[in-house]
Amino acid sequence: MSRLSLEYQFFPVSYPAEGAGGKTGNWRVVRPVVSDRCIGCNACFMWCPEGTIGVKGKRAQVNYEYCKGCGVCANVCPVKAISMVSET
Amino acid sequence: MMKVISGNEAVALAVKLARVGVVGIYPITPQTTIIEELAEMKARGEISTDVVRVESEHSAMGVTLGAAVSGVRAFTATSSQGLLYMHEMIWWAAGSRAPIVMVVATRAVGAPWNIWNENTDFMSERDSGWIMSFASSPQEALDLTIQAFRISEDPRVFTPMMVGMDGFILSHTKTNVYIPSQEEVDQFIPPRRQPYVIDPETKESMGNIFQPYHYMKLRQSIHDAINESKEVITEVGREYEKLNPLTDYKTLNVSYKLEDADFAVVTMGAWSLDAMEAVDRLRDRGVNVGLYRVRYVRPWAEEEIIQNLGDKKAILVFDRATSLGRAGPLYLEMKATLDNPMKGVIAGLGGVSMGKKDFYEVISRFVEESKEGRLKGVEWYYPREVKEVELGTPRSSI
Repeated sequence: MSRLSLEYQFFPVSYPAEGAGGKTGNWRVVRPVVSDRCIGCNACFMWCPEGTIGVKGKRAQVNYEYCKGCGVCANVCPVKAISMVSET
Repeated sequence: MMKVISGNEAVALAVKLARVGVVGIYPITPQTTIIEELAEMKARGEISTDVVRVESEHSAMGVTLGAAVSGVRAFTATSSQGLLYMHEMIWWAAGSRAPIVMVVATRAVGAPWNIWNENTDFMSERDSGWIMSFASSPQEALDLTIQAFRISEDPRVFTPMMVGMDGFILSHTKTNVYIPSQEEVDQFIPPRRQPYVIDPETKESMGNIFQPYHYMKLRQSIHDAINESKEVITEVGREYEKLNPLTDYKTLNVSYKLEDADFAVVTMGAWSLDAMEAVDRLRDRGVNVGLYRVRYVRPWAEEEIIQNLGDKKAILVFDRATSLGRAGPLYLEMKATLDNPMKGVIAGLGGVSMGKKDFYEVISRFVEESKEGRLKGVEWYYPREVKEVELGTPRSSI
């Protein structure tokens, strides 16, 4: 869909970006690791509360700069492709 | 094709002709037969629309908004308490700039329970950021609903639109309605356009926190888009004459015998036709009076109103709605637009019937009053047969 812009038109759409608090990835104690089993179903993308997972092609990718390691993605993955690995 | 149908059937037909994808809906009197009709169309296989039954009006608008931002043409309809229950989501739809069409079969708002006609529910959504039109006949309900899809999906607008119609009076009364053919409507409404689509590929999201300056800028853009829509509405209206040559949508509002009139009556909705008959009768008796029917509450057709009513000696505004403790909303809007001497009448609330005799009485009294220079602000009018009504309560002795 083409992005139509008239001078006065303005729309409430936003994209994931760095928050006022800066990079938040250092909060993490466990990190999600995506294995080859990923089928690119978008479930992790839909559930991620921080918008840090994106699906490129058929593979989920985690943005570790902002991922806080909550584990929601690993829990909702229908094929158990995401495992939570300790940071230490 | 001419067919004898009710206002609600006309709306359901308009939804069918516009090839709506999703209808998120919850029944409430007097809107119920719209969804019954749509559900029957679905059962007969006449439409491929997803008719989603939900648990409340709040969810009905939620489903409709969700469908709309994912790129589907979406529709809903409601009334009275349902509209108020939907209030929060109405603002979300407007703020999301999602083209949605909603029909409101107007009805009084409780307490106490009352299922009859009154426009207060509709008028109370004026500040939400929707385009608001109001029909005066089942024909206009059909026409405005079809036009609403094109207006709200225009790149100059991208704002949801609601079409009001008087509950029971229009929604349940059957009259002759001209129905355009499917091919004509297909040509009239282009494929859906919208400012953005929620899509996992693009990572776009909506409804996030906005910083104050951005938020204010967005509010202004909705305001500007609603004002710009005046041009779109007249453009769409002119083109609609190809579908139905008997209608006139060249202007936002409608004037009747106003050119040479000294006195003007302002109305909105179904009772305008009764008022027109009263105007005719007064004209026969030599009273120089005309009528102006408000068809669009938002955008407010300020220039048109000044052009049509600016030179009148006095103006009488009929409201079938109230802003309790102040005056009728239409009267207040008119008062803010014009400097002419003006009187407001609040009548017909909760289904109190107003016939042409009542209009004749009120208008002729108004003409006398203005000639004598004693127009008073706002009057609550009760027709002759209900003038003696008294409210009694079990604790009236306290």
